[in-house]
Amino acid sequence: MSLCDAEKTFILHGVKENFRVDGRDREGYRPIELETNIVQHAFGSARLRLANTDVLVAVKLEIDVPFPERPFEGKLEFFVDCSANATPDFEGRGGETLAAELANILTSAYRSPQTFNLKKLCILKGRKCWKICVDILILECGGNLFDAVSLAVKAALHNSQIPLIKSINIDGDNIELNVSDSVFDCEKLDVANAPVMVTVCKIGDQCIVDPSLAEEQCSVGSVVVAISQEYFSTVTSIGKGSLHPRTMCNSLELGQKVGIRLNKAFMETLHNIQPDEDVGFLK
Amino acid sequence: MSRKKELLSKVGLRLDGRRADELRRIRCKLGVFTQPDGSAYIEQGLTKVLAAVYGPHQVRSKQKAQHDTCIINTQFSMAVFSTNERKKRPRGDRKSTELSMHLQQALLAVIKTELYPWSQIDVYVEVLHADGGIYPACVNAATLAIIDAGIPIKEYVCACTASLGNNDVPMLDVSHQEEVIGGPTLTVAALPMSGKIVLMEMSQRFHLDHLPKVLDKALEGCKDIKAILDEAVKKHIQDIGSSTGWANTTS
Amino acid sequence: MSQKIHIRTASASNRIKPLPTTQKCYKIFTPGEVVINASNTNFVRGHGTYEEDGDLKASVAGVKEQVNKLISIRPLKSRYNGQVGEVLVGRIIEVQQKRWKVDTNARLDSILQLSSVNLPGGELRRRSVEDQHMMRQYLQEGDLISAEVQSVFSDGSLSLHTRSLRYGKLGQGILIKVFPSLVKKSKIHFHNLPFGVSLILGNNGYIWISPPIDNKDENVGGFIQNLDEVIPKDIREAMARTRNCILALAENKMMLFDTSIVFAYEESLKYSVAELLLPEAMIDVALLTQHRIHMLEDYEFQ
Repeated sequence: MSLCDAEKTFILHGVKENFRVDGRDREGYRPIELETNIVQHAFGSARLRLANTDVLVAVKLEIDVPFPERPFEGKLEFFVDCSANATPDFEGRGGETLAAELANILTSAYRSPQTFNLKKLCILKGRKCWKICVDILILECGGNLFDAVSLAVKAALHNSQIPLIKSINIDGDNIELNVSDSVFDCEKLDVANAPVMVTVCKIGDQCIVDPSLAEEQCSVGSVVVAISQEYFSTVTSIGKGSLHPRTMCNSLELGQKVGIRLNKAFMETLHNIQPDEDVGFLK
Repeated sequence: MSRKKELLSKVGLRLDGRRADELRRIRCKLGVFTQPDGSAYIEQGLTKVLAAVYGPHQVRSKQKAQHDTCIINTQFSMAVFSTNERKKRPRGDRKSTELSMHLQQALLAVIKTELYPWSQIDVYVEVLHADGGIYPACVNAATLAIIDAGIPIKEYVCACTASLGNNDVPMLDVSHQEEVIGGPTLTVAALPMSGKIVLMEMSQRFHLDHLPKVLDKALEGCKDIKAILDEAVKKHIQDIGSSTGWANTTS
Repeated sequence: MSQKIHIRTASASNRIKPLPTTQKCYKIFTPGEVVINASNTNFVRGHGTYEEDGDLKASVAGVKEQVNKLISIRPLKSRYNGQVGEVLVGRIIEVQQKRWKVDTNARLDSILQLSSVNLPGGELRRRSVEDQHMMRQYLQEGDLISAEVQSVFSDGSLSLHTRSLRYGKLGQGILIKVFPSLVKKSKIHFHNLPFGVSLILGNNGYIWISPPIDNKDENVGGFIQNLDEVIPKDIREAMARTRNCILALAENKMMLFDTSIVFAYEESLKYSVAELLLPEAMIDVALLTQHRIHMLEDYEFQ
């Protein structure tokens, strides 16, 4: 899909007048729909729809050996798969660049110890730790993928339960771990500080958040900011084009403002979410 | 070595409590996504599959275009979290290539490709949860997605697995648990209305004498599945039809 | 409104289906089902059917349509099947020698011949070599056009023409894509809606919303786009509202035609434009519209 100049002009003028094509103002967000615990055999999962952007995230746990330089920490890994169901362009290896970009941004957003406490995942110093594998499946693209993915990851982590280790037997090099027998002996992950990403898109001279597919095409450049409470955990500029330092600062400010608001609304939803019968895709 | 676990109990019930000729619960929905031309979701027991169909549209690479028929392009993909043991890659391994080909084979048998010269139809399936019978679930989901896209087909193509329990009782719709315990698995994709077989695959050593009854069982399973899918399609059409008020409908 | 971010859980937003208030019930055929059996030979095979062993069978899922002896099954959703005389909106995807390729949501790319457009400087002007070189100046990749189906080639691709002042390049506006079957067949495709919005309901499911068209405008051939013109806020708002209303109707699988869109627009006025993105608002608008359409139908029936 490529827009013609007249359509772009229309979008551009709309952004300038603070009245976008779908009636939102520059800081407006489209409604979000969230569902957790949708993949039964994962330790935690979430499906998030933002307009028709559709993301499915599942969390799996594995026992691993900590990195030698960080013996007290567990591991957190992200894997993104762009399903061809979303668009035929993703067929074969078509979605790999986008997938790598998403995974990299997530990794750097979660890198800081203040965003996500990896120490809790350590089982035995330098020997055993939990590895959290966060697998993200993109099912449909309707613009603003980064924000949707970060929210879905946060929800899936919130939904995850780490089994408690009951006992550890060390016999030389052999380490035996025993997981608690009770299903309820689980620990929830703390995601209060987990970053929320906001894509700030520059269109004309103004910046907007939550761009639709068409708006993404009109943008001259975008900045993805990951906000953890009031702090930035990562800032990346994506797409073509270049930004003036002043615009950059403005977009960061806007990103922070919206990010805090988004995080607040999202945390509220997460706390209110009820375990439900699975509706999933049958709805 | 302990005695091999029996697939069928003395009473004739299977490990998950089903009878020998009982299917797992099938739930399905057409039109799950808006972007593709057709889409469907199916659950067979715990196995869950999403299918999307794009097309028919102009062939993307001009060399491949055919003047008398349309190309069916399939891709099978499995979410890395779909299995109990996390997968390394969603696709590209030998098994998924094979499944893509088998899916294409099943669809080529029913889609009226001669109606669409110079065109291409893309069929993508994504396994969200694998619990035995992946291929049948993919075929059934793809059939529904193709019907949702309004692409002409001769009839439904349905697939089902069957196995042999206790060396003489044929069993329908094998679950992952039963696959692991052992016993042969026969996968059949068939056209249930005309009774033709499109694809048949057999795993393990097997005596020829047993084949007819296992095959019959599998075909019976395909018929049952067809009935379930048919009901879902009719309900879906009825729903859309009544909300559009059957406009554009003349008679 | 915009200050609030709406996040809902899926279970809370379980889609409420608008009640099917229509009593009409049709027999639904599914692929492989016999429509007419072999004993009856008095039929002609139409779309969505095939013959096997003398039986006429359905190849798609849908309802039966019969015109004299011609029997066809129409699927409720499919790619656009063009027919001569239908009006559509399309996007140029390639400029070739003497012709443009156009995306019209059909099975194959449609074709717009250089000889089927009105070039500036009179309708009956000969096409010269210069015109071939100038083609990209008239229409380039990405441009949107409105056109009419001139003929259907043997392979099924459509040949378009824009030889009328109504057709041609589109200026500023919003394009919406819906399934072609949701656009009600009608003789009139160009609508000037009472609230200051002009609408093209393309038969191919592409819908174009633009500011009101001034008919007196000297719009010969229509290759001019005014990119400097800023559309006033009130018209912009009406356009955005129209867009959201159409999407609300399409989401709830309701037919799109001038009356339904005007009704939806009027019913939507209690919401702000951005609120119309919320699922509850969309369903509410669709339900109210459906209700009004039924009232209208009943009234006409009496």
